[in-house]
Amino acid sequence: MPDALSRYPHQGIAIGLVAPAMVLMVVILFVPILIAFLLSFTSYSLGSEQLNWVGLDNYRKVFSKSTYQKMFSSTLLYVAVVVPVSVGLGLGASLLIHSLKFGQNLYKTIFFLPVMAALLAMAIAWEFALHPTIGIINHTLSAGCESNGWYSFATGSWYGNDVSTSWYGRGCEKGFPLWLGNKDYAMWTIAFIGIWQAFGFNMVLYLAGLSSISPELYHSAEIDGARSAWSRFRLVTWPMLGPTTVFVLTITLIRSFQVFDTVEALTSGGPVKSTYVMMYAIFEKAIKHNLVGIGAAITVVFLSFVMLITLIQRWLVDRRVHYA
Amino acid sequence: MSIHRSSSNEAIKHLVLIIGALIVILPFYVMLSYSMKSPREIETNTGGFFGAQAPMIDEYCVKLGKTPEECTTIPIIFNYTEAFKKAPLLRYLFNGVFVTLSIFLIQALISLPAAYALSKLRWLGRDTVFALVLFSLLIPVHAIALPLYIMLAKVGLVNTYAALIVPWTISVFGIFLMRQFFRTVPDDLIDAARLDGMTEYSIVWRVMLPTAIPALLAFAIFSVVAHWNDYFWPRVVITGNRDLFTPPLGLREFKGDADGSAWGPMMATATIIVTPLIVAFLLAQKKFVEGITLTGMK
Repeated sequence: MPDALSRYPHQGIAIGLVAPAMVLMVVILFVPILIAFLLSFTSYSLGSEQLNWVGLDNYRKVFSKSTYQKMFSSTLLYVAVVVPVSVGLGLGASLLIHSLKFGQNLYKTIFFLPVMAALLAMAIAWEFALHPTIGIINHTLSAGCESNGWYSFATGSWYGNDVSTSWYGRGCEKGFPLWLGNKDYAMWTIAFIGIWQAFGFNMVLYLAGLSSISPELYHSAEIDGARSAWSRFRLVTWPMLGPTTVFVLTITLIRSFQVFDTVEALTSGGPVKSTYVMMYAIFEKAIKHNLVGIGAAITVVFLSFVMLITLIQRWLVDRRVHYA
Repeated sequence: MSIHRSSSNEAIKHLVLIIGALIVILPFYVMLSYSMKSPREIETNTGGFFGAQAPMIDEYCVKLGKTPEECTTIPIIFNYTEAFKKAPLLRYLFNGVFVTLSIFLIQALISLPAAYALSKLRWLGRDTVFALVLFSLLIPVHAIALPLYIMLAKVGLVNTYAALIVPWTISVFGIFLMRQFFRTVPDDLIDAARLDGMTEYSIVWRVMLPTAIPALLAFAIFSVVAHWNDYFWPRVVITGNRDLFTPPLGLREFKGDADGSAWGPMMATATIIVTPLIVAFLLAQKKFVEGITLTGMK
C-alpha cells in the first residue's frame, strides 16, 4: 500500500513507541477489571485450583447482609461529610486568603502541609491528640471545665441553660468522648481527619481559579449594580469558579470513596463496624480472609461508583458548566 | 471610617485563619513534641513542647548488664536512636527511596515515547489509542488492587520489589500530561532534527525530553509524593517480610507492637518519615503546589 505508506510514513515507528505503554495499560488496568468481574461470580480463594461459579450469590450478599449495609452506610456517611465540608472549607479559605493584604503565602503554606505529609503518620499523631486520657484535646477540654467563664459559656448556663443537657456539661461530669473508640463518634472523627487532610488541596485549586478571574468582571458587575460583597460573589466569583468546583468535587469524591489509611490504622473498621468503609472491606475480606469472590463483588460495585462519578464530571465539563 | 472598618475586617480574617492554622498544625505539633519527650512526660501530659530533657535511664540497656551511668541519656536522643534501633528504619527509608524513584523513572521511560507518538506523529489508530488513554484515566489503581494482587500472587511476585513497583509503571496520567505538553512544541524543531538524520527514538530523548523538563519535574513531584506516602498498596502486597517494608509499613508495624514506653520513638519515626517531603516542599513551594495540583490542569 504505497498510498498508506506515504500518508503515514511513521506508522511502524509510532506503533513501536506506544507499544510498551499499550501492553502495560492492558495488563495492569484492563485485564484486572475483567478478572474482578469474573471472580465476582465465583467463590474463589487463593490457593484453590478450581473456580466454583456461584452466579449472583456474592452480589446478593453484598446487597443484603447487614455487614455490607454498614459498609455502604459508613462509606456514604464519610463521603457525604468529607466532600461538602472539605470543598466548602477549601473555597472559604481561598476567598479569605485571596482578599488578604499580607500573609497570603504563610496561610497557604500551612494549609497545604497536610497534603504533603504521609497520611498514615499523621493519622497516628491525631490518634495521640485524640487519646481519651492523655491526649491534648480531651486534656484541654477538661481543663476548660475548671475555668468558670468558659464553662458557663460552653454549657450555655450563662443564659440559664441546664448544664446537664449540654454536650460540654455532660463531658465535664462524665468525661469527654473516646472519639475513635465510641461507635457514635468514630466515623465522624475519621471524617474529620479526612477533611483536615483534603481541604488544603481544594484551597490551592480554588486560589488558582480566583487569580484567573479578571478584575474587569468585578468592575462591570459593580456598574450593573452589584454593590455588596455577596452579590459580587454570586454574580462573578461563583460562576467563574464553576469549572474548578466541578473538578474539585470530582477528585474529592473519588478520593474519599477510597479512604483506607486512617481506618486501617486507627479503628480497623470498628467499633461495631461503624467505620467499615469499602476499601477496608475489600482488604479485610479478600486479602486478609481470602474470600476473593466477595471482595471482587465489592470491587466491581466500587469501580462502578467511581467511574459513574467521573463520567458525570466529564459530561458536566463538556457542557461547560457555569452555575449562572 | 472606611479605613477603620476595613482594617478590623482584615483582623477578623486573620483571626479565623489563625484558628484554622492552629488546628491544621495540631497533629504536627503533637508528633514533634512526643518525639522529644520522655515516656513519663507523655503519659502525664507535662513538659510543654520540648519536654524537660531531664536525664533518663534506658531500662532495656540496664537489662543488658550495663551500668546505669552508661545507660543514662536524654529523651530526645533516646527517642531518635530508638527509632533506628527498634526497627531497621534505614532499610525502610532506602526501600522507600528505591521504590519511589524506580516508579518515576519507569513511568517516564514508558510515557514519553507514547506521548510523542500521540502528539507529533500521524499514524493509523492514533485516535483509538488516545481514546483508550482517556478511558483509563477513569480507573483508580487502588480500586483494582484485589485483582492485581491475585495476578501477582499467581506469578509468585507477592513480597518482592516488583510487586511494589510494577502496578504503577503505567501512568496514563503521565502520558496524557506529556502529550498535552508536547503539542506545544513547534514541529520545526522536530523537522530540523530529522534533517540532521536523527531517528525518532533519539528525537524523543534528545529533542523532546529537554523541552519537557518543567512538565516532567512537576510530574516527578506528583509521582514521588504519592508513592512515598502510599500505605495501601504496600500493605496489600508486602505481608510480613520486613526487608521490603516501605516507611509507612514500618511505622504501622511499630504502632502494632508499641506500648506506652515506645510512643516517643514511634513519633520520632513518624517525624523522620514526614520530614523529607515537608522540607522539600518548604524549599520549593511553587513547584510542589504545581506538581500536586497537576491533576487540576485537565
